[in-house]
Amino acid sequence: MKPLPDHLRTILQQHGVEERDVFAWMECDRDPDGTFRNRWLALDAQYLYVLTDPRPVADKTFQGYVFPRSPKKEATVPPADVQVERTPVENIDSVFVVHLVASGLIAAKCPEEKVLAAFTNAQMREAAQFVRTFEKWKKGERPESRQDDERESIRACPTCGMPYPEKDRAVCPKCMKKHALFVRLLSFAWKYKRSLIWIIVFMLLNAGTGLVIPYLMGTVFFDQALGGTGRFAGQIGLVIALILLFRVLSLLFGIAYSNLNARMAANIAFELKANVFSAMQRLSLSFFQQRHTGQLMTRVNNDATDLQYFFVDGIPYFIVNAINIIGIITILAVLDWKLTLLCLAPLPLVLWVVRRVFPKLWRLSWRRHRRMSRLNAMINDTVRGARVVKAFGKESQEIGRFQRANESFSQVEQSFNKLGATVFPALNALTQAGGLIIWALGGYRVMHGHLSFGDLMSFIQYILMLYGPLQFMNNIVNWWSYCMSAAQRIFEIQDAVPTVVEKPGALHLEKMRGDIEVSDITFGYEPNKPALKHVSMRAEPGQMIGIVGHSGAGKSTLVNLISRLYDVDEGEIRIDGIPIKDIAMSSLRKHIGIVSQEVYIFMGTIAENIAYANPDCSMEDIIRAAKIAKAHDFIEKLPDGYDTMVGSGGYALSGGEKQRISIARAILHDPAILILDEATASLDTETELQIQEALEKLVRGRTTIAIAHRLSTLRNADRLIVMDRGQVVEAGTHEELMTSGGMYAKLVKQHYEALKMKGVG
Amino acid sequence: MTSDIRFLHRENAVFASSPGGMLSLRVDDETYPVVYLHCSFPHSEPERYISVRLPDDKEVGMIRSLSDFGGQTAELLREHIRIRYFAPAILSIKSIREEFGYSFWEAETTAGTCRFTVRSGGGNVKTVTDKKLLITDVSGNRFVIEDIGKLSDREYRLVEMCM
Repeated sequence: MKPLPDHLRTILQQHGVEERDVFAWMECDRDPDGTFRNRWLALDAQYLYVLTDPRPVADKTFQGYVFPRSPKKEATVPPADVQVERTPVENIDSVFVVHLVASGLIAAKCPEEKVLAAFTNAQMREAAQFVRTFEKWKKGERPESRQDDERESIRACPTCGMPYPEKDRAVCPKCMKKHALFVRLLSFAWKYKRSLIWIIVFMLLNAGTGLVIPYLMGTVFFDQALGGTGRFAGQIGLVIALILLFRVLSLLFGIAYSNLNARMAANIAFELKANVFSAMQRLSLSFFQQRHTGQLMTRVNNDATDLQYFFVDGIPYFIVNAINIIGIITILAVLDWKLTLLCLAPLPLVLWVVRRVFPKLWRLSWRRHRRMSRLNAMINDTVRGARVVKAFGKESQEIGRFQRANESFSQVEQSFNKLGATVFPALNALTQAGGLIIWALGGYRVMHGHLSFGDLMSFIQYILMLYGPLQFMNNIVNWWSYCMSAAQRIFEIQDAVPTVVEKPGALHLEKMRGDIEVSDITFGYEPNKPALKHVSMRAEPGQMIGIVGHSGAGKSTLVNLISRLYDVDEGEIRIDGIPIKDIAMSSLRKHIGIVSQEVYIFMGTIAENIAYANPDCSMEDIIRAAKIAKAHDFIEKLPDGYDTMVGSGGYALSGGEKQRISIARAILHDPAILILDEATASLDTETELQIQEALEKLVRGRTTIAIAHRLSTLRNADRLIVMDRGQVVEAGTHEELMTSGGMYAKLVKQHYEALKMKGVG
Repeated sequence: MTSDIRFLHRENAVFASSPGGMLSLRVDDETYPVVYLHCSFPHSEPERYISVRLPDDKEVGMIRSLSDFGGQTAELLREHIRIRYFAPAILSIKSIREEFGYSFWEAETTAGTCRFTVRSGGGNVKTVTDKKLLITDVSGNRFVIEDIGKLSDREYRLVEMCM
């Protein structure tokens, strides 16, 4: 058990309760009156104690909050203030949790229901644990000292020890801040260091040769060659040849770096997309269900492209432009430092504008990104639901919906472009104001003999060369924020941890007998909404278990948990006597096969689709599996046979055909445990009968858990489990359940009546 | 279209608070020691179409509007709705720091100062009506901004970056 806080220990001691006697306690943090108030529940062998701090909490910090500086120390509660109420355990029938929206109540039945305390969502797990301990104690079982969840240990950052803001996401924002995004991005670029170095070398050579030209064209040409002084006096041809030579060299270096850059760009884009895609595949099912498909697609494509710019246009140009700026300013200062200072006078004004306007531009760009994601998600939605849209004749409504989303995107796009279109030219004008200063003051200095005409010409050309790099630096803020937000989103995917994690040293099972034992499991997709409550069941090797119940009863959730697509919140599932959390994912996937109502046909040939689980199998294996699945005949009728391309853009298979392919896939997979999740629900009766035969062949010799809406399909089941609202309400053989006359008997009656109405059966 | 909704009103239903703090109901001749209230439209019409349900989730009936009951009963029902839909309303926002996938909020609410963490993206900060914004933190706790139009420019700018 987690040790009692000091003040709680003191108060309990004042009431004659020692810490060693307490076997469960929890903290509740809200009051039914709508404020936050601390209340603690503690349980010993005789009493359930409710300790209440009468003062409302005026300052509440929720789980996961990271203070920018070290937080104020919380004041401990003086024991005298706390009110203690105790109820003898023998007077309490049960303790239970009432699930509210985003919070909960813990109540007792004694024998009237009574609210003990209220708590916010973060305490939900603790409350469930408290209730379980109480139940065990009531049943006369010795409640084991409370064990912290085994995952608790990985819920704190190993570097700083701070608990992760989200229990299931091992990202520590405090530590992540230290490793700034930029450093992380650079480490990615490190792989391409050779290409990068060559690119930068060629860029520097290109810039260096380019820097010589204005000097040759100004000072050397006008003052020396034409003016008849210095080394190049009268040698116009030589000066022109030199200008030409440097131009050619600059051009060649330019071509060299552009070529290298193009190659690196393609590689980086490829690798970034592959990286994000594989990071996504690693994640658990819940990740995909929490996010819009549109958002994810934008993420893989746009963000990877934005980051590509970072490596390709960003790093090399930044280095070269920075060196260019330094180089040009040095040359200018050597030529005439006073004039240089004057030219740079508008710069502070430019920087001020950048600082003022760019945050606004950044906000608009974020708004644009958000609206674009929404627009994409909407298009995706309508295209997928085209059939429903047409069937209800709601095309114009959809057009309206699209127009609204499009309009809101277009509005923000316009604002963004307008602001950009105003700010950038204004910045350009400001930077170029330096040019006018040179003409005015430079001309004056030439007239008074303080500056040669050639030097003025060089000066003007250098100043013109300075604008490009300066403009780049101006835009860099904008570009930088694009890249950093893209990097942040991509790293978020890379850092997200799967909610279902394999234990280190998990067992790899060569063979599985298929003995499934589900003991007292509770699970919710959201913390306060249990989809399954205290479910237990058993399937012995080779048995077929049928699960029946209304939709939403928790049937699919149960099989999702058996195949460990999610982890149970409470209780345990064992396969062959081993808890599934101890079995390697690869073993689970290898030995558990699923045929569900949602059949997914991938892009590829029929043969590839059948061989999905086992790509190395022989052609004969594929045909054999297709024959058992009753798919062989229809495949043979197709002009391209097993080579027929299916999936998006390929041959359109009917529902029954797709289902038969998925059964063939499962046959080839040859799992010890087979899950049939409404495998025939979407098919017509005739197709269903054909598939039923295929399924019967498939289930032979395997432990099968079959969910079916049509009860007739479960006639071969060894045992049936009836579920309602997340609980098992009946279990037994068909005959037993019919005799007991409960919910199953009622469902069967309804089923046959429905069939009679349809004229079937 | 015939309706099979059983409406509860002051003529056929009596709500009372039990000594244990639960809501009880007597409707016609039946007595239910514990009932829970579920709003059908918790954001747009929190006081209309309230489903009265038993602990096993069976519906006893529906309240068309809280105004169908007298002042005291209506207040009792309101209190139980507040218990169920507990979500401190944000009165002013002190700061929102956004860092690497999370935003850290510090706000004055109807329940005092609250500091909480919201995961970026995934619809954790979303508008539920034209004006109302619902914020769900990493543990699933809810906070609301009743009228987003009443936020100051600074507050709106902060909130917008999390939407």
